[in-house]
Amino acid sequence: MWDKEIIMDIQNTQSQMRKGVLEFCILSIIQKGEVYPSDIVEQMKAANLHILEGTLYPLLTRLKNAGLLNYRWVESVSGPPRKYFVMTEEGKEAYNVLHKTWNEMAIAVETIISPKVNPIVNEAEVAL
Amino acid sequence: MKKVININFQGRILPIEEVAYENLKQYIESLRTYFEQEEGKDEIINDIECRVAELCEDRLKKDAVCITEEDINLIVASIGRPADFEAQDGFEANTSHHSSAGDSFTNTTENTSTGVKRLYRDEQNKVLGGVCAGIANYLQLDPLLVRILWILLFGISFLAYLLLWIAVPSSSVKEVGGIRKRLFRDIDHKVIGGVCAGLSKYFGVKVIIIRLLFLIPSIAVTFNWNHFHLFQFWDFDDFPNFIGMTFFGPGALFIYIVLWLVLPEARTSADKLEMIGEKVDINSIKNTIQTDMEGFGKRAQAWGSSFDKKQTSNVNDANNHTMSQNKGCMYYFGRTFTIVLKAFVYFILGIITISILAALFGIGVATTSLLPLKKFILEDGLQTWAFIGSILFFIWVPVVAIVASIVRKLAGYKKANIWVRSSFIALWTLGWICLFYFGSSLGHSFSKHNQPEEEQVQLSNAKLDYLELTATPKMKYYEDKWFQITPFNNYGDEDTLFVRNLRVRIVQSKTDSFEIKVVKLSNGKTVQEAKTLANNINFNFTQQDSVLYLDRGIGISTKNKFRNQHIIMTIAVPVGKRFLISNKGWSQTNVSIGGRGMRSETIDRITDDNDWYDEWNEPWDSESFSYEQGVEYKMTTAGLEKIRRVNGKEDEDDEEDADDIEQKLQKLKEERLQLEQDLEKSKSEKVEKAAEERKDKKVTAPVKGELSTVKSVASKFADIQWVLDRFSY
Repeated sequence: MWDKEIIMDIQNTQSQMRKGVLEFCILSIIQKGEVYPSDIVEQMKAANLHILEGTLYPLLTRLKNAGLLNYRWVESVSGPPRKYFVMTEEGKEAYNVLHKTWNEMAIAVETIISPKVNPIVNEAEVAL
Repeated sequence: MKKVININFQGRILPIEEVAYENLKQYIESLRTYFEQEEGKDEIINDIECRVAELCEDRLKKDAVCITEEDINLIVASIGRPADFEAQDGFEANTSHHSSAGDSFTNTTENTSTGVKRLYRDEQNKVLGGVCAGIANYLQLDPLLVRILWILLFGISFLAYLLLWIAVPSSSVKEVGGIRKRLFRDIDHKVIGGVCAGLSKYFGVKVIIIRLLFLIPSIAVTFNWNHFHLFQFWDFDDFPNFIGMTFFGPGALFIYIVLWLVLPEARTSADKLEMIGEKVDINSIKNTIQTDMEGFGKRAQAWGSSFDKKQTSNVNDANNHTMSQNKGCMYYFGRTFTIVLKAFVYFILGIITISILAALFGIGVATTSLLPLKKFILEDGLQTWAFIGSILFFIWVPVVAIVASIVRKLAGYKKANIWVRSSFIALWTLGWICLFYFGSSLGHSFSKHNQPEEEQVQLSNAKLDYLELTATPKMKYYEDKWFQITPFNNYGDEDTLFVRNLRVRIVQSKTDSFEIKVVKLSNGKTVQEAKTLANNINFNFTQQDSVLYLDRGIGISTKNKFRNQHIIMTIAVPVGKRFLISNKGWSQTNVSIGGRGMRSETIDRITDDNDWYDEWNEPWDSESFSYEQGVEYKMTTAGLEKIRRVNGKEDEDDEEDADDIEQKLQKLKEERLQLEQDLEKSKSEKVEKAAEERKDKKVTAPVKGELSTVKSVASKFADIQWVLDRFSY
């Protein structure tokens, strides 16, 4: 019923939306404490956000190279040590900034897409 | 029944099915390709490998006997294939978006949407194989421009085009077990080796087109299209054209042989499917894996197996470092160092290979093109065959082998099988044998000298004041060096070619006449043969007045083969006489002034002939004297004296010395003064005589005589005036 192009556009928009959010989500998970990459995938999956490990690893490496993350070798019961990721001070700062932006965004988007203008929310926005 | 192997993968020992292992290897390789441009790609891949190993171990803990193909597929699915990454369009594009912000070139093709630039053949915009379109896309140029440039460089680039077509992946993303196309020889439809048929299957072009491409060079020979000179920069007009030289067009033949050697033949039905590009069942490549596994140890040691090693070593060789806690820094430093070292070593090896190849190719072309000359040098029979054998097996076989292995490497085929390799080695050994035999037999042919005998050249007028030595007019001589051969085609007769091994020696004559002596020398298998060859040297001198014309060279024919025949000419110049060796027609002659013209070992061998030897070694005072071409010399008791430079053109604009002109001018001025005085004198005499005549009218006769002298003197004066004007303009 839709043109191919329109579908492409929608998919593109979807991926654009997801892109920004996923990075924030991952940072948020790591911010809670030391974590193993496959745990990140599990937690995301529990929240119904799907991510492939194959895309997670490059992102972690990149964030690590940017100085936002650090890793630690943790001995495992069996087999070689595993790489656990933690957040650096720098990363925490970046996360706080992102968190703030997210709150603003969420409220803004909610305001715009809500069917009728809610004055209370409006006031809250002004208060922020 | 499935074969299970044990691998050491990221510090874990895993029993794994062979097919599953192959799948895993391909998967890791596809990741490597995908993350090629990524910063820290090694780390990413290492992490993923660790994760895969961990998942495998989890699987084994759940009482699995070994890792099966299915397990690997599940694991790969959970981590994701490169194609899935693109579908998810997650973080990959995210960062590249940062790096190339405002990149509005979001082309419709998949590969550009990832933002990572890679060279692909552009299947959408292809004309032939999509190579030009791919390059244009990569460089963001108009494909037309690239194509035009490509066609301009067509001669060289055709082969490169084929290589890139085979080596560069198409724009469809590689997938594990996906559709793979490989180049095979199609032995079911073969005419000679099935190369053309295989190529046609691979490129999806009709067989006839490929066959024509191979045949065109030989057709070109038939129509004598020799105008395309590959070696135009060589100074030979008639240098045999390598591309279209012989009966079959060696260029095309060469490519054909290389491909024949490089390409595997499509034996199994899977091969045949692969040849056309059908999807291949994973089991059908079991054979390849088996040979891969068996040959691995050997290959690891083998020269230049870098690529294979790299692929497998990451999977196979578990890095012991993983066991230690402080893996990070040291490990990567060590690894970087190894990579840099490896790259350096391969770079050096590559340069060496290329230069050996170039040198061999050059020698090959040169010797092959000298083949028509072989009848003038080589003895018939074994020596000739040894020569051909050493060209073929010692030079061309390694060239073919090296080119074949390079093409193999580029195209990613496995190494040549043992039969091909051992036959190469056998042929090359044969080449060595031929070369040794040829060298020693040729050396033997040149081993003996004849005894020098001096011959007197009869001069028609030996008491000349001046002798000029020059080439026979209108004969083109080439630079005179030992072993210089004039291109025989110039002379139209192919039975004889001319060698100019002539040395001129200038000595002082003991008499008052010119003397010319000639020694003919030759090498040969025996002294007798050398003597015969020396006697057969037919080198004539033609004298015209004071000019002695030299023959065009020593004739070499199939009967009188080249055995370093040479002539030493001794010119004895009497004191006070002049001589000139002009450089008309050739640029260089070996002239030695009283020096020792022969190499010392030659002299050692002919010491029996005492007289000759003594004269030859006659001491000369001016040993540091260097002879100049085109300069007239005068023999004095002290040695040679330079008189004047004679140029080829006797025009006014020759660079005569200013001093010379000055002197002439001075001389003419003096003459003029003299004549003026004479004139004055005769005038006064005339006046006196006229006065006397008036006095004595009887005396009339002598006046007439006087008048004629006056006239002649006046005319001479006018001449001198004219010459003077000319010189002092």
